[in-house]
This record gives sequence, C-alpha cells and structure tokens, in this order.
Amino acid sequence: MNDLETRLTAALAARADLVRPGDLSHVAPVVPLRRRWTTPLMVLASAACVVLVLALALRLADTTPKADPAPKPDEPALVLPPDEGRDWTADDLSTPAKLDLDGDGIKEKVEFLAEPDPDFQGRTRLQTTLTSTGEEAYGMAQLGSTIGTTALDPIDADDDGDQELVLYRENLDGGPGALMVPLVFDLRDGLLVEAQPSEPNSLVAGYLPIAGSQTTYYDMVRVASYWIENGSLFSSLSVDAFARGNMTLMRPESYVVDAYEWRLGEDGILRAGEPSCLVLVPEAQAPCGSGVEEGFVPYINSVATEAIPEGEWVDFDAGYQFRAAVEPGQPPTLVVDGFDGQELRFPLEVADPVVSTLQPISVFSDGASLIVTSSSDPTFVQTLVQAGDSLVSLVPTGEIALANAGATRTWQTANGALVTMTGREDGSWTAWSWQMVSRTEMSALPWGTVCFDDVDDPTTAHSC
Amino acid sequence: MTTPVETVGLSELYAAHRLALVRLAVLLVDDQASAEDVVQDAFAALARRSNGLRDPSAAVGYLRVSVVNGARSMLRKRRTVRGYQPPRTIESVGPEDRAVVAEEHREVLAAVKRLPDRQREVLVLRYWSGLSEAEIAAALGITPGTVKSTASRALDALERILKDREGWS
Repeated sequence: MNDLETRLTAALAARADLVRPGDLSHVAPVVPLRRRWTTPLMVLASAACVVLVLALALRLADTTPKADPAPKPDEPALVLPPDEGRDWTADDLSTPAKLDLDGDGIKEKVEFLAEPDPDFQGRTRLQTTLTSTGEEAYGMAQLGSTIGTTALDPIDADDDGDQELVLYRENLDGGPGALMVPLVFDLRDGLLVEAQPSEPNSLVAGYLPIAGSQTTYYDMVRVASYWIENGSLFSSLSVDAFARGNMTLMRPESYVVDAYEWRLGEDGILRAGEPSCLVLVPEAQAPCGSGVEEGFVPYINSVATEAIPEGEWVDFDAGYQFRAAVEPGQPPTLVVDGFDGQELRFPLEVADPVVSTLQPISVFSDGASLIVTSSSDPTFVQTLVQAGDSLVSLVPTGEIALANAGATRTWQTANGALVTMTGREDGSWTAWSWQMVSRTEMSALPWGTVCFDDVDDPTTAHSC
Repeated sequence: MTTPVETVGLSELYAAHRLALVRLAVLLVDDQASAEDVVQDAFAALARRSNGLRDPSAAVGYLRVSVVNGARSMLRKRRTVRGYQPPRTIESVGPEDRAVVAEEHREVLAAVKRLPDRQREVLVLRYWSGLSEAEIAAALGITPGTVKSTASRALDALERILKDREGWS
C-alpha cells in the first residue's frame, strides 16, 4: 500500500468512525424476516390464487386452443464498427470533439471523417488516438449527413470515470418534428462502439404520433426530447398529446413531461431509469410540485372587440397591409384597398355587420383576411380571405361547426386567432383553433381542455 | 433427511450490521441522515424479499449491494434536481465534527467527493470495507477487471486532485 492508499484508508476510517453507535437514530427494524407464505394472510391469499388459477386454466383448456407464448423481444445487440474510411477526410464545417474517452484525465481529440457521397449522406468515421496508450481508436456512425458534424456534451452514463461521446442523427428531409436520435459511443476494447438503447424508439426528439389519432386535417402527437445535464443523458415525453396539422403543432408554451435518465450498462445497452415529472417552460424546466404552474390554458382568454366604424376606413398594419371600410347599403358592402392599389368588394350577408379591426392571421396571412359577425345575431360568424382579386368566405369543414350558440362558443382572440369552444359533459370545454386547410375551406384543430367560471366571459378561463 | 435451515433473523442482522452499513453509506452519500435512510431502505428491501435469506453472509452481501445502490440513487436524485432546488451543501462532517477529523483527512475526503460515483464506490469498498476485487465486482455488478481499472483510475484522479489542492505529491 503506497502513501496515497495509506492516507485514503486513514481518512475513510476517520470519517466512518465519526458515526458512533449512540449517534444512530432509534428506529425499529422494519419487520421480522418471515417467509411470506407463512403469514396467515398470505396463506389465504395464496389459496385463493391457486383456486383462481386452476379455474382459469380449466376454462381456457376447455375453450381455446393452446397458443405459442408471445416471443420475448430481444434486447438490441452491439455492432462492432468496421475499420473503413481511414482515407476519408473531415468536412470543413465539422468540429472535432474533445473528451476523456479512456479516463486518464486527458482529453482525446475525436475527428469526424466523412464518407464521400454526392448527397453528403455517407457514414462518418470517428477517429482518435488514446492518450493513455497511444493506440488508435475508431468507430463508425450514420448521422444522416456528413456536413458539419459536431458532438454534444460528453456524458459518463456508467459512472466509470471516463466519458462517452454523444452525436446525433437527424432527418434533414423530415420537416418540423422529424425525429432526431442521440447516438452514444463508448470506448470498448479499443473501439468506439455505439451503445444501443434498450427501447430504440424511446430515446429520440421530435413528434411521436398517437396510433389511430389521424383525422383528415390533423393527428395527435406526443413531444419527445432529450438533453444532457451534468454529464448525464436525459429524455422526456409529454404527458399530453397535441394536435399536429397544417404545418402547425397546437402545443402550449409549457407542458408536463415524464423525464428519464439513461444509464449505460456493462453490456453496452442504454436503459432508462424511473420516470420523474417535470414541467417544461420556455428555456427552463422544473420538477412537478415545485410551485411552477402545471395546468396550462391555451391563449383563448382574450377577445378582440374593436370593429370598423360605419363609414370609416381602418388601416390593417399587422401582416398583410391594407385598409378596409363598410359601405352602407342593402346589404352593406365590405371594401378592401390593398397596399398594391387593388380594390376588393364583398357584399355582406348581414344587415348589421361587425367587422373586426384585427386580421385572423392564424387562419390566413398571405393576403387580406377579416372576421365578420353580426350585432343582432350572435350566432353569425364568417371568415373572409383574399383569393386573387376577390374576397371569399371560407367554408368550415372537419369535426366541429363554426358557431356561437349554446355549447359552442366562438370568438377572435386579441392575437388574431379564431377559436371555438365546444362543451363537454363534465362541464369542461375543448378549445379549438381554426386553420385554413384549402383555398376555400378552414378546419379547427384541438388546442386543449379549459374550464370557465363564466362561459360568457372568456377572461375567466382557467385550467381544469 | 436434510436439516432445516433457520431463516436469518432481521433483528440480529440489524443489531450486528446496521452501524457498519451506516458508516459505509455515509462515506458514499456524505451525511448521516441520508446514510441512515439508505440503510433503513436496504433493511426494508430485505424484509420484503419473499423467501427471506437463509445464509447470513448472503444477507450481509445483499444489504451491502442495497446500500451502494441506494446511495447511488440518492446522489443521482440530488444531481437531477440540482437546477430546481437550492443546491444542497453536502458536508462530510458537521461543525462539531470538524474539530475531530484531522486536516489531512479532510483534504482526502474532499478529494474523494469529487470522484465519479463508480470510482468513489470502488475506493470505499476497497479501502474502507476491505473487500476483494471479486467481492467489489459482485457488489457493484461489474467485472473484476473493471474494478481493477476503475480503482487505478480513481487513485490517479485522487492524486491529481490532491496535488491541485495542496501541492501534495
């Protein structure tokens, strides 16, 4: 035992000896050790189970053919990287990673050599020299692109004192919500071997569709994410599902997720730990129960109330710029002057129109758009959008009606969204937001569940 | 005819090993209250085992593994909530104890605290519990080879930390 070991032994003993018998709190042993089947309750329960199992077995034997047991899914197997690509070169935009792969306290430099490919979608060779031995180590990754390879922060997912390299695979053609997958490379027997998650689809970032949720205009997805914190790899999955459609995700700014820490086993398999509850808020997160608001209300509790005064022109400056006026008549006519000098005229369907001074830009923003209601008929709601040199009234389609009566309430919010609430049997309401889905149609996407103290006053909306 | 084997009595195990297990846990989680919680959970887990444990040495091994795992979970939980709760200052000793632990020990203990969990566990099990590489491997669920390499790295790291802190060599 050298000096350091002697000193360590003495220090540990000194610290341990500070815990004296008299210092221990007085708590009783949990329960006496006793085989469970020997307790009276367990005997009774066991007997009941035996009877139940026998009865079930007899019933199944009588009525159903024997089936093979379902195959147990195999855990993924590690794949050793091929020694290819020594002559590949690094992309100019790639940045070598620096991390301590071998645990000697000195960082290795890992270079990313790109496999030649006309679409830049070849493999990437991970190449380094270990500082502890001077030996070469390499790995192979399929990252989706060889352009600009950059590593994430390193992790130590097995707490063994060395670090694992983390890259990510992205789907550049997938659009918003396309899955990104973190790839963890561990130094094993001199090779950078890609660790395999025990459940391949659970360590991803992006939108995960809910099976069977597809409708004509949207489907429901859960939002998955991953991040590295303090040298550990975490993933999360939103508890709620959100509507995705029309290139929009109806997700609130903040939402609750189940978060998992991923640990690397000796067998090279990444396994998720027990879930913990987190609230994701913009640019931050917090544990559930820590005082952060966990119920979220879609932005529906503000109402646009200003209307174009009769006989006056009103400028619409936000979004597409135009001015509009309502000409008196039987019926009145809506007149729009575009910034390009084009005049659009639309004979209104009600004698007492109320035309909002706020564009419904969440419905349509590539031209003039307006919301028309009636001062005498609260059930009348109409959305007009510019189609070339005319205004057209969008036809509501999909699951709900564009209405404002009884258990269906519709209004325009102060930020330009057109929303409809549909009542549910338990007293809560489903919030919907209207989106233009074709040149002549619009449909509503679900936006969450809300409750009202007074349904006639949208400002009283709150989480249920 | 075989002789019935007596199931190990929890009370006896508790009386004989609780103190040593709390001392092991305190070297892993730093404070005594947490250490006692970890050990209590370990005994609770043992008590829940459906068939008990008939071999006293196996029972002690089971408890040791439970304590190491429980300590690791507690440390991990502390790290996971790091950003959301006021950082908890993990002192190896209380104010009254500082007078007891010599300065030289404090430096070493502080350096041990900076090691990754696995390295710290290996050092504690080897240099305080006095376990063999095979026993440490069994307790941590790793191979003896990994124990050896982890211990070597841990000592190297410990030496570097101490040099940085005090110019010790």
